[in-house]
Amino acid sequence: MNKKTWPKSNADACIRCTTCMAVCPVSRVTPKFPGPKQAGPAAARFRRPGEPSADDWIDLCIGCHLCDMVCSSGVNVSELNLIAKAKYLDEKGRPFRDWLLTHSYLWGQLGSFFSPLINLLFKNPVIKWMGEVILKIDRRRELPGYEFLTFRQWFNRKPTKGNPKIAYFYGCYTNTNEVDVGKATVQVLEANGFEVTLPPQRCCGIAMLGNGDFKGAKKMARYNIPSLLNTIHSGSKIVFSSTSCGHMIKHQYSHLLSIPSAEEVAQHLFDVFEFLRNLKESNSLNTHFKELSLKAAYFTPCHLRALGMGIPALEILRLIPGLQIDQIEADCCGMGGTFGFKKEKYEISEEIGKDLKEAIDRLNPEMILTDCEGCRIQIRHLTGLKVLHPIQILRDALQNDG
Amino acid sequence: MKIKAEVLIIGGGATGVGISRDLALRGIPSVLIEKGDFASGASGRNHGLFHSGGRYAVSDPEAAHECISENKILRRIAPHCIEETDGFFISLPEEGLDYRERFLRACEKVGIQTTLLSRDEALEQEPELNPNLLSAVRVPDGAIDPFALVLGNAKDAEEHGAKILLHTEIISLILNGDKVKGAKVKDLYQGEEYFVEASYIINATGAWASQTLKLAGLPIGMALSKGSMLITNRRLTHRVINRCRPPFDGDIIVPNHTVSILGTTSIRLEEVENFEVTPHEVSLLIQETSKMIPAIQGTRLIRAYAGIRPLFQSEEKGDDRAISRGFVLMDHEKRDGIKNLVTITGGKLMTYRLMAEKTSDLICKKMGTNVPCSTHSKPLPGANRPTGLTERLKQFTTDRGEVLCDCELIQKEEVKALLEKEKLKNFQDILHRTRLAKGTCQGGFCVYRLFGLLHELRKIEGDSNKILKGFLEERWKGIRPVLWGTALKEEELIESIYKGIFNL
Amino acid sequence: MRYDLIIIGMGLSGLMAAKTAAGEGKKVLIVGKGMGALCLLSNTIDVLGQFPKIIRMRDNLFQWIKDHPQHPYSKVGLEKIEEALNSFLSLFPPPYSFQTVDHMNCLIPTGAGTLRPTYFIPITMVEGTSLNEGKALIVGLKGFKDFYAHYVADQLKCRGVNVSLSDLLHGEITTTYLGRLMEKNSFIKNIGREIKKQLNGENLIGFPALLGVHDPIQVKNNLEEIIGAKVFEIPTLPPSIPGMRIFNRFKEWLIQKGVTFLLGYPVSKVTLKGKKCEGIEVSHPPVTTSYSADRYILASGRFMGGGLEGTAEKIFEPIFHLPIPQPQSRGGWFEKKFFTVSPHRIHRVGILTNNAFQPIDERGGLILENVWVAGSILAHHHFIDEKSREGIEITTGYWATKKAME
Ligand SMILES: Cc1cc2nc3c(=O)[nH]c(=O)nc-3n(C[C@H](O)[C@H](O)[C@H](O)COP(=O)(O)OP(=O)(O)OC[C@H]3O[C@@H](n4cnc5c(N)ncnc54)[C@H](O)[C@@H]3O)c2cc1C
Ligand code: SF4
Ligand code: SF4
Repeated sequence: MNKKTWPKSNADACIRCTTCMAVCPVSRVTPKFPGPKQAGPAAARFRRPGEPSADDWIDLCIGCHLCDMVCSSGVNVSELNLIAKAKYLDEKGRPFRDWLLTHSYLWGQLGSFFSPLINLLFKNPVIKWMGEVILKIDRRRELPGYEFLTFRQWFNRKPTKGNPKIAYFYGCYTNTNEVDVGKATVQVLEANGFEVTLPPQRCCGIAMLGNGDFKGAKKMARYNIPSLLNTIHSGSKIVFSSTSCGHMIKHQYSHLLSIPSAEEVAQHLFDVFEFLRNLKESNSLNTHFKELSLKAAYFTPCHLRALGMGIPALEILRLIPGLQIDQIEADCCGMGGTFGFKKEKYEISEEIGKDLKEAIDRLNPEMILTDCEGCRIQIRHLTGLKVLHPIQILRDALQNDG
Repeated sequence: MKIKAEVLIIGGGATGVGISRDLALRGIPSVLIEKGDFASGASGRNHGLFHSGGRYAVSDPEAAHECISENKILRRIAPHCIEETDGFFISLPEEGLDYRERFLRACEKVGIQTTLLSRDEALEQEPELNPNLLSAVRVPDGAIDPFALVLGNAKDAEEHGAKILLHTEIISLILNGDKVKGAKVKDLYQGEEYFVEASYIINATGAWASQTLKLAGLPIGMALSKGSMLITNRRLTHRVINRCRPPFDGDIIVPNHTVSILGTTSIRLEEVENFEVTPHEVSLLIQETSKMIPAIQGTRLIRAYAGIRPLFQSEEKGDDRAISRGFVLMDHEKRDGIKNLVTITGGKLMTYRLMAEKTSDLICKKMGTNVPCSTHSKPLPGANRPTGLTERLKQFTTDRGEVLCDCELIQKEEVKALLEKEKLKNFQDILHRTRLAKGTCQGGFCVYRLFGLLHELRKIEGDSNKILKGFLEERWKGIRPVLWGTALKEEELIESIYKGIFNL
Repeated sequence: MRYDLIIIGMGLSGLMAAKTAAGEGKKVLIVGKGMGALCLLSNTIDVLGQFPKIIRMRDNLFQWIKDHPQHPYSKVGLEKIEEALNSFLSLFPPPYSFQTVDHMNCLIPTGAGTLRPTYFIPITMVEGTSLNEGKALIVGLKGFKDFYAHYVADQLKCRGVNVSLSDLLHGEITTTYLGRLMEKNSFIKNIGREIKKQLNGENLIGFPALLGVHDPIQVKNNLEEIIGAKVFEIPTLPPSIPGMRIFNRFKEWLIQKGVTFLLGYPVSKVTLKGKKCEGIEVSHPPVTTSYSADRYILASGRFMGGGLEGTAEKIFEPIFHLPIPQPQSRGGWFEKKFFTVSPHRIHRVGILTNNAFQPIDERGGLILENVWVAGSILAHHHFIDEKSREGIEITTGYWATKKAME
């Protein structure tokens, strides 16, 4: 594949085989979206630069990459869709709601500081109603709560130890909403003898990209890449715990955003479990696990699948004695980053989620594990079960004497 | 059975239907006989270039002049058949700029407006062009949809009293002294033969012109030249791209709806039917056109096809293309002493209206009337219908009905309306009237659906799977020359569907 | 990462190879550029449908092997063919199981109203094989463009109806959308009642093959109860829901067994040392990851799957660059007619192997010692015309892996 012409001319490779139609979670639940084959390569023949968009349904693509994964002809349907979606939204204009949803990194800090108040407000039906009427954020959604102490603040107060160094890209959500994921990551890495560092970083920009805001996403990338590059040049590898941030930096920065040096960063950037699996391969993984008697189910996030590394979390967790872990037979959680928050898309998100819920019900687990925050929000919302990042369980298994 | 006609027109290509409309608008009734569907000859198998005349400006100023004046008229009367894209004549380093200077002067002489663009300007407008180009000259070329043009003319002609009989073949012309009394014709579906008596007869059978005249025992020296074209899966450029050099093989790329058409070649033939595109032609076209657009080397082709040009031996020179593309209007009264027979052939799609006007003028003269022609000012029906790719996508978005053809976004309702409105005899007739099966998979999916629809509407008789197999054979002719790369994958899929899942 | 066995290709042959190896406790990686043709073209299991004679498949195969010594079936051998097919069948315990009609090919109706010979069919298609014993009603659904009841019924000389339901008000509905709706009880009730109203003495109901992905038997039973007639599925245009059921079942089983699934990225490079493959690289731009194993199975399919590629000049195998004996030039690939008596020559080309499915050159020399080849990429068969697609994939996937693990 010629990198220069890709993905622009990539639609040409489509043979109309419909494999992608077999897997698209959106066209499976709604006829409003014509499905990947039609939305991507087929419509691409009709889209003309310089002419207005004529495909409002393109906004319904959730960006799960399933179509890309199953296509034997190498068509990157989701990227064709994203480009068309960006054009459509650029012309139509984005609601303030989308700005809010995609710039949570800006108000996240504030959210943390005022977290007791915000968390209360977010649960308030009046606020939720206002959110729905004014912002078109579906009121049936729980808004994620904020934590008072951000991950970074916690980290800075903590003594550092270990050698060699490993850098950590934690992402906004870990920083302000699920601090324990960050803590667990650091603790697991430390338990394996590493000193964790936090390179200067901003939101990876995936929410903006998912909403077709290439410009905003590029701004984020242009901050992050030099910083991460610095880290790499100082001899350190980088891990991430959020598969969405990871996929964004590793693949989209160079593919879609053409950020200089993004390719170099990608070579040294690893999912935390991928990194641990590599340790295991070289027999240097700390496997002093205590027994956890727990029946859990694991869900593969779309971005993890798109990272193309298998399911390292499952491989590592299966080493923990007592932990029974099943894989959930479902393809997409339906959250799609910020997709599921939007009023006009809530139903679709919910319908996709139902298939996932059914699959979970069949397994009847005590707890769900999954690497992506979007999936965790959705599964909590759907099932009311406890949902953790697998690193949190691994950390628990490593805490031998409390 | 016997039919009486004032004027009998033989041939339902652009020229024939153009004459039928012209006469009808003058109030002269006619009967048109066509052995296939509309546009089943060269009118449905050409490059679709809406000439500015630029291509002939240097070699044949008269033809160029005809083109540019018709160009202006057709934009007015048939805007829905034309895409006003403009065209570039690009100069490549291989040829240098000598020809460009002659070209610019010649265009100015015949009144073709030109604008000279620098390399960078040209590349900005058409990024796929060969980056080594020296310059481009912009001319008012465009793309023309021959089917829409022919159907529009036919419709208007019929509305004004003309009669058109499709799938009916002229099998002999009956002479009576210095006149042709009429023609014996055969309905190719019913098998019935009957006589059409006519006061005047116009032979508008294009490349079949000499065969038709043979039916009246009149020999003319005419040769045939095959021109082949390739269709790409996507539209490569917005504009028509010509190479700024004396006309040669593979030097025009014409955008057409979702695709681009690369052409053409020029090869002498003996027979007007049963021809195919050879591997050599395919390679030649790719090799030549990719000099203008390098991406053609790797681009996906979806079909190859060819059309036949009639050539007149008396005018024969070295290269077939050097022969005037101007048309030939023969008054057989002067030539052979047959008073009521006229032959019109050659020319271009571009000049169909002019050809029809001149032919009708001649017939009027013979009839002794002088009603003037009005086709240059009266728009064709449907002229204000919006067209274009964005428009189709918009339609799909608003209707979101069942789409029979995923590749060309043809909706079921659209085809249903067509089937209910017109009495179509043949499966190919449906395909001629929509862009069904003209996209990426060349009917691989939609033709099955079309058969389904025909059954649903109770509009199919006989063994439909035999007809389906017939279509797949036709399709094969078009795709076989270009089966490699992605097309090869597609082939395996479609073959697996029809021979596998459906066990045909 | 190091594995016992790496399988390249995620079609039926690759999945079968993975099952065979994982079943013996091997550490397996299966990589697929895409999902393969299973979800498109497979509905039933063809073994050798070319001669729908009334003879037992065993005898049929026996004769075939005698007549076609180079054919993949001949390399597997009759006994192992049966073993392989049984291994496949074992993945599908009742209720959704596969069966034959008297161990012979049977004829099932298709979306084009033809009858097509095949061997193992899922329970959901069984009633379709005995159309002449009853009176059938073929049911299409409004808005579903990939199946036409009247088309099928006209050819099969029975009646067709199109049901239109308020659940289906939207213009166009896709296979997977319908397949999912079929699993909703309320929808089944509505559609069942609607069909019942249309009955006119029919006791067999033919449906497009989309009676649910997860629990088709439940769907079938529910429908039959409401309508009061037997229901069967009719395969039609891709995607194929019956194919998806097969794929899902394999995937579930394999992941359960700890097989690593790597779907979506092509093998971009292999490292060879002498006659051994030392590792593969999988590319997901901008990064590539290396994997290695003791043994490798190449099951990358034909052109559609990307196992073979054709430029305007020649056909080649893009991963190991194994030799592909082929016609001199492109002109010899395809016949002038699409429907031909003997298959297009291109369909017979493929990779040459010895009896153990190891790749060899034209003189019979072994090319790679730790690579085995399985599935449709093999030479000397033409599965479209033979109607042997699934049979070849299952049996060679099974046997090549057995040989690899010896
Ligand atoms: C390769 C190629 C490329 C071309 N590119 C262009 C271009 O880009 N732009 C342009 O303007 N022009 C182009 N032309 C020229 C243009 O296509 C023709 O000049 C034009 O279509 C001729 O139309 P016609 O009606 O005279 O002939 P045709 O369209 O050939 O019509 C003759 C009709 O007569 C019918 N017929 C024959 N015998 C009988 C019979 N015995 N009984 C009944 N019916 C009979 C045939 O079925 C046929 O339909 C191209 C031509 C070729 C060959
Ligand atoms: S995008 Fe890929 S999977 Fe989808 S129809 Fe095209 S070739 Fe098939
Ligand atoms: S990215 Fe996901 S939602 Fe979008 S078209 Fe592809 S499969 Fe469908």
